[in-house]
Order: sequence, then C-alpha cells, then structure tokens
Amino acid sequence: MIEEKYKLSESERLELDHGVGIKKKLTSKEVTVSVVKQVVLAIIALIWLIPIIWLVVTAFSTNPGINIAHFFPNGYTLNNFITVLTKPDSVVQFKTWFLNTLVIAIFTCIISTIFVLQVSYSFSFCRFRGRKQLMSFSMILNMFPSVLSMIIIYFIMKQFGLTNSHIGMVIVYSAGSGLGYLVIKGFMDTISMSVKEAAVIDGASELTIFTKIVVPLCKPIIVYQIISSFLMPWGDFVFAKLMLNSGISTDWTVAIGLYNMLEKSMINKYFAIFCAGGLLVSIPISVLFLIMQKYYVEGVTSGASKG
Amino acid sequence: MSETKTNIGESIGKYFSDLGTAVADGDGFVKGSLGIMGLGYFAHKQVIKGILMTCAEALFILMMIYYGVPYLSQFGTLGTVQFESVFDPLTMTNKTNDYDNSFLILLNSIITIFLIICFILLYVSNIKSCYRLQLDDENGNHIRTFSEELKDVYNGKFHITLLTLPTVGVILMNIIPIMVLIAVAFTNWDQAHMPPAALFDWVGIANFKAVFTNSVSSSFGYSFGKILSWTLIWAVVATFTCFIGGILLASLINSNGVYFKKMWRTFFVITIAVPQFVTLILVRNFFANQGIVNTIFDHAGIIEWLKNRHMITTNYVPFLTDKNWAKFMIIMINIWVGIPYQMLISTGILLNIPQGQVESARIDGANRFQIFRHIIMPYIMVVEGPALITDFVRNINNFNVIYLLTQDVYVTQNQLMANANAKEVDLLITWLFRLTNEYYNYKMASVIGIIVFVICAAFTLIAFSRVMASGKEEDLR
Repeated sequence: MIEEKYKLSESERLELDHGVGIKKKLTSKEVTVSVVKQVVLAIIALIWLIPIIWLVVTAFSTNPGINIAHFFPNGYTLNNFITVLTKPDSVVQFKTWFLNTLVIAIFTCIISTIFVLQVSYSFSFCRFRGRKQLMSFSMILNMFPSVLSMIIIYFIMKQFGLTNSHIGMVIVYSAGSGLGYLVIKGFMDTISMSVKEAAVIDGASELTIFTKIVVPLCKPIIVYQIISSFLMPWGDFVFAKLMLNSGISTDWTVAIGLYNMLEKSMINKYFAIFCAGGLLVSIPISVLFLIMQKYYVEGVTSGASKG
Repeated sequence: MSETKTNIGESIGKYFSDLGTAVADGDGFVKGSLGIMGLGYFAHKQVIKGILMTCAEALFILMMIYYGVPYLSQFGTLGTVQFESVFDPLTMTNKTNDYDNSFLILLNSIITIFLIICFILLYVSNIKSCYRLQLDDENGNHIRTFSEELKDVYNGKFHITLLTLPTVGVILMNIIPIMVLIAVAFTNWDQAHMPPAALFDWVGIANFKAVFTNSVSSSFGYSFGKILSWTLIWAVVATFTCFIGGILLASLINSNGVYFKKMWRTFFVITIAVPQFVTLILVRNFFANQGIVNTIFDHAGIIEWLKNRHMITTNYVPFLTDKNWAKFMIIMINIWVGIPYQMLISTGILLNIPQGQVESARIDGANRFQIFRHIIMPYIMVVEGPALITDFVRNINNFNVIYLLTQDVYVTQNQLMANANAKEVDLLITWLFRLTNEYYNYKMASVIGIIVFVICAAFTLIAFSRVMASGKEEDLR
C-alpha cells in the first residue's frame, strides 16, 4: 500500500513536470509518460480489485471453506450457485431473502423518495415563518447517527409488535428519511424562483407547481434519490439483525442471511456459498450504482456547496 | 449567530404579547375559548372549524385521563411494583402480578409530555385566531368559509400539508428516541435492572461522573479517554487520506496521456458497488492470522524478515489482532473503501474547473505544480470544504468499517479496557453499540451517545453556521 502511494505521487509529479495539456505532437518523452501512467493505474486498479477477484473465483470454488493455501481455487464448479438458488435449507434461503429485501427496498424507496421531495420543496420553494430554524434543527438532528438511538427504536417497535416484521423494517428505514433533504434541496435551489412566480401568475396552485413543474425539473436528482434509498436495505445489516431477531431464517434479509453463514461453526462449510450469494446480490446493486454515479457527483457537490 | 439569537428572543416575546392582547381585548367568546376551544369560531360563523377544535380538545382530555396521567404520575419513580411470578398449582400456569415496567413508563411519559406540548401550541394558536376572527368580524371583513379554508391545504399552506407526514416520521424515529436516550442517561438501566423482570430508577448525573472518572470498580474514565482520542485520530486520518488520495487518483485518471478513462473509473466504482458487509468480511478473512495473506507472506519469506527485525513475535502477521497492526490495517482498508467515493466526487469537480484560469496561468508561465497548488486546489476546497466536514463527522460515526473488520476478531489484552467492555480499536459508536447489544449496559451507552452527539453537532454547527447565517441561499438564485 505504501509503495503504491509513493508511486502515485511520483506519477503525479511526472505529470506536473511535463506540462501535459498543451496540444502538440506526441514526443517520445510523452509516450513514456503515458505508458508509465497506464502501468501505475493498472497496478492501483489491480490492488483495488483483488478482493473482488477473490470473491468471484471463490464463488466458483469446489472447496466449500476458505482456501488459505492458494489465492485461486483448485477446481471450478457452478455448484455453489445451484445451491444458493435452488436448494434452500435451514441456513441458505437465498431466494426468500432476496424477495424479502426486494419488497422492503421497494416500499422504503417509494416512501422515502416522497418524503424527501416534500421536505425539499417546502424548504426550497415555500417561504414560511420558522423555515430557517426548522432547517438548522433538522440538520443538527440528522447529525445524530441512527446507531445511537437504534436500541430505543427497537424497544419502541417492540411495543407496537413490529419487530420481526417487514412493515417494521420499512418504517425504520423510511420514517426519518425527511431529514436527508439536503441534496435534493440543493438541486431545487438551482431552479429559479421566477419559474414559480410565472406559474402563480398563470393561476397555478402550489400543488400543481410541485407536481407538474418542480418534480419534472428535478428528474436527474430524483433518480439519485430513488436508487440510493433503494440500495439502503441491501447494504444495511446492523438494523436488520437487531429488528429481525427471531432466528427464523425465512424472515431475514439478504444481508443478515449472508452474514449468518460466517458464524464460526459454519464458515468452513458455507464460505464459498457466501461468496456466490454475495456475488449474486452485488450484480444488480452494481448496475444500479453505475447508473447512479453520475448523479452522485452532482448531488454531493451541489448539496454541499449550497447548504 | 448573535443576530439569529436576538431574532429568536424577539419572536418569543411577540408570541406571548400577542397571546396577552388576544385574551385581554377579546370578547366573551374569545375568553370562552380558553375553556371550550371552538367557542370563538361558533360565534363568528365558522361552525365546522369550531366543531373540529372542540372535538380535538375533548379527544385530548380523554387521552390524558386514560393514557397520559397513569404513566405520567409514575414518571418520578419509574414504577414501584416489582415483577413477581408465582406458580399456581390449580391452573398449572404462572401467575404474574400487576407489575410496573420502568421502560414503558419512561417511554409513554415522554410521548405524553410531547403531546401536551403540541396541545399547548394548538391551544394558544386557537385563542389567537379566534381573536383575529373577532377583529375581522367587527371590521366587516369577509369571513372565509370552510371550503375556502380547505383550499389552503394545497395552496397557501401547502408546506404544512407537505411537511406533516415527514415530521410525524421524524418525531417517531428521531426525536422521541433521542429524548428517551437522554432520559436513560440519568437512570441505572443496565443488565441488573432490566425491565420487565426488574425496575430501574433515576440516578442523577452518576453515569456522567462515571464516564470521566476511574474507580476501583469502574475503568470507564480510562477507556473513554483512550477511545475518544482514537476516534478523533481516526476521523482526521481517514478523512484526509481519502480526500488527498481521491483527488490524486482523479487527476491521474483525468490527465492527458491516459486512455480508457471510463474503464479505469468503472474498476474503482465496482469496489464500492459491492455491499460493504460482503467486501469487508472478505478482506477480514483475507488478513486473518491463518489467512491467505499470511500464507503468501510466509512463502515469500516476509514473516522471517519481520521476525528478524522484531516487528512481530508470532509465526504470522497479526494484521487484525494486534492493536497497532489493527489500527494501521483499519486505516489502510478504509483508504481502499474511501478513495473510490472521493475519486468520483473529485472527478466531477475537476471536469468543471474553469479552463480559462488554467490557460491564462499557463501563459503567464506557471508550471503544473503551481497551477495545481494555486488554482486547482483552492477551487476544490471551495466546492468541497463543507463536504469535508460532513465526511469528518461521518467518519467519527463510521460504524461499518470498524465493526465488520474487528467484531469477533479483535480481543483486547488490556484488562482495564476489558473491564469497561471496550477495545482499543473501538470508535465511540461501536463501543456504544456493543455496550447495548452484548452487555445491555444502556445507561452508559446513552451517556456515550449524548457525548458523540455533542461532538458531531459542534463540528456541524461550526461548518455550517456561516452558510446558514449569511443569506447565501437567496444569492444563488
């Protein structure tokens, strides 16, 4: 790692010294610089991809446990995937987990996207007394990490009988989502107020302005919001583990199910299956993430610079 | 900041003086709505609103009688009747007495207090609007009908319509739990006092004292100091390594002479697209004491080499089981996790850098380093400065990386730390999590939670107070 950082900074230095950016014919020196850069990038990328490569090859491994002698498995098979997808047992219920998580994710996504849009519109386009104070208050409240109050939320949900229920999970994931308004509000702030004023003159109500004008204009950032809230239940395992604690494996989400396979007593039997399951989950998530990344950049920077 | 303070002071003053005028100058009906809330509306032709208000009042009173008062009356003691279970030989079942559950008393009392505050606000605004109505009536202004008022729901008062549900959600998921958490910090709720089997009680600030002091029976002060300093060091190092690394990587990929830019970027993005609990657990097994990296190191003779230099004493490199190695590895692995994110953000910013400035600097004879140092870096800092603080706060609470890498792997050798259920590699937040989840020590966890919150809120306020105070938001339009 240290070596890599050194190489990176050296290439950076090379790049800085040689005035890249001025368009002219490639000299042999520039060709060398280019080659060095590509090689450095390839090495860095390899380091970043090693765990992913390990995930992929282990998922196809004939050895069910962790192979500690070699990086690459001794033999390749599709059995791990077949087990994950078609042979549910007391430990592996992948298809059920996948459906559970999908349902939770869809409802979480719908509710939190609507909540966030409502809050963002109110803060960005409506002017009412106490708006600034409410914004500062929600920002401070948002600083309170959910892990802190998680246990209290658990006890509250237990009072309502919502632990071990997927409705409870949706509530936990989406109820407080209104606080995450910063990114979308930042985007809405870039829409000129005169758009709204013109609509008001034309006799449009606030409801019309919200649904027919502002929301369509925010489409790119809404895609970001939809995908990021959809992804939350797939990545979270702490909350899920706390809330779905009945021990009945058909109730679980993908994250708890996979994590459970790595209990000390099971890891040697299920590690390859864990990798196969992890790989299967990662594929749809990666696709969504790749779609989201261009909005991600826009979202983070626009939200941050405009407060 | 001081300006906003006086504003708040003034508006609070105005709030009460308005109420005073309404009560003093109001007619009999306004004064009557001190007792029956709808009265002012009945007198001034807003019958439906009057009925609604009176119903709300009746509902509140009923709820207080049947729900609020029974709990609130026990708030001072948090329950007195201990849980008892007696086996009844006649029915062959266990009979439990009518016991008190301290947690339910605490929770429901707080909800009740919340409802009372909401009701008081409604009550005051009711009196004021009755008075306004009376004035309108006297001056012969048009009194709006109920259907006219309903239109406000999606027009004039649209923000209230929009904010209602999200606010209810935030109150349920954030505000009430935080209030309960704060209350728990002043009780003795731990494994020895677990409802429903046992009661817990108020203990004042004893828990706060325990966090900052050491005694024969408790080493919380010692552990707290160590963990707090590691948390802050971690947050600073993690934020800066990822920040710098991300910028360097992004500018390397963006620089001329690099082909397949999109492909390189996708490689790095893939690593963050795979869920963290999968990658981090893989990496954890990768660096296990009997893991594959140690095998490779052994074959390559690196273990021998390290041993000869007394850097390790074991036959393996204790990547995640020795406190110094573990801290080093956690930071390294976090670089692995964090740089791709930072690269994505920096790429977006680098592509937006005004090229005119760069060109003119070049014409003036600035070299690449000077351009980077004096044009590109300041630009990045302006755009990303606030995000850096958010990152810092996020790293203070970086639960996933620490928990997934060290849970079940790292065991502390330090007896004083172990006494407080802490590990050297814990952040405040993972310590807190394990205190509640594994040791049921809710009282101490709440104290730590409050401290974490204060730290985070302080940093956030410092970072955003300037943005908030200045009218920057409007300038941008």
